[in-house]
Amino acid sequence: MSTAITVPEDLREGDNEGVITAWLVDDGHQVSQGDLVAEVMVEKAQYEIEAPAAGRLAITKQEDEVVAKGTTIASLDA
Amino acid sequence: MAGPLDISSMSLQRPTVEEGLVAEEGLLERVCQGETSLGWLAWSPTDRALVMPRRHERLAGFPEARKRLAAMDWPVLFRATGGTPVPQSPAVVNLALALRCRVGGSAAHLEWGYRRLGDPWCDWLGDLGVGDADLGPAPGAYCDGRFNVRIGGRKLVGTAQRWRRVRGCRDMALLVHGAMQVDDTPEALVAVVNTFQAAIDDPQRFRAGSHVALREILPELPLASAIPNLVERLMTWRVPLEADPER
Repeated sequence: MSTAITVPEDLREGDNEGVITAWLVDDGHQVSQGDLVAEVMVEKAQYEIEAPAAGRLAITKQEDEVVAKGTTIASLDA
Repeated sequence: MAGPLDISSMSLQRPTVEEGLVAEEGLLERVCQGETSLGWLAWSPTDRALVMPRRHERLAGFPEARKRLAAMDWPVLFRATGGTPVPQSPAVVNLALALRCRVGGSAAHLEWGYRRLGDPWCDWLGDLGVGDADLGPAPGAYCDGRFNVRIGGRKLVGTAQRWRRVRGCRDMALLVHGAMQVDDTPEALVAVVNTFQAAIDDPQRFRAGSHVALREILPELPLASAIPNLVERLMTWRVPLEADPER
């Protein structure tokens, strides 16, 4: 089973894009639900993104890539 | 600094830049741990540094730029909030608010967070007789954004945020920070950022004319009494209920 990690949609208005500023866990590593996995910056605001489930991290968007709200940036494979 | 920072004091604290940044992180962590739903810190550093998000460390020219700045007695430090390089020095007063917020509802949190800091700041300036303070961009300013506190369109206060989940629930913790140039000339601080820009081979240069220092507008302002008044406004400011995620 795979769970998507997405850029939150409920923390800002408008369609301003953000950028992935850091992955805090390496690709392929195991994480627990609630672990901090990434940071995304939008309009000088840094958001910490948590793992929504436990699993092995498969990163699909790299650091410094531009991302929109709701974009899947990684998946967690249980 | 003689002792630990007095977090949530009304008075202006005088730590080093590094101590101030650590204290702001601690403020956010207290909200995340559920120890408080509102915290604040007013501080002005005793030393100086060029402060930026850690992602700048990945720039190809960063090691050389760091060396060049260090040789000018402007060490590079990293901060938790977003944006681009900003000089910190005794000429700068920082105010940070940490808040617990509900997610969902009609509030737009990023914009709300900036207004939660910026609106009372403009109000404070208005009461000091500054008639043209507002929030907005300042093209040509370093670390520009949509929510600077401006005087006459020039950047007085740069703002930035960090969001983190409150432990064990859906609420979010927000750290919103403002850095206000009080003393020194805009030329002096802009020159530091432009030195960094040149060192990393970025052609963008910033303009002193896009910035303003508070002393240019209010040369006689007694900071020791004015800052606690600003802090009190920030603590007690309420936005309309329907848009208030603190509620």
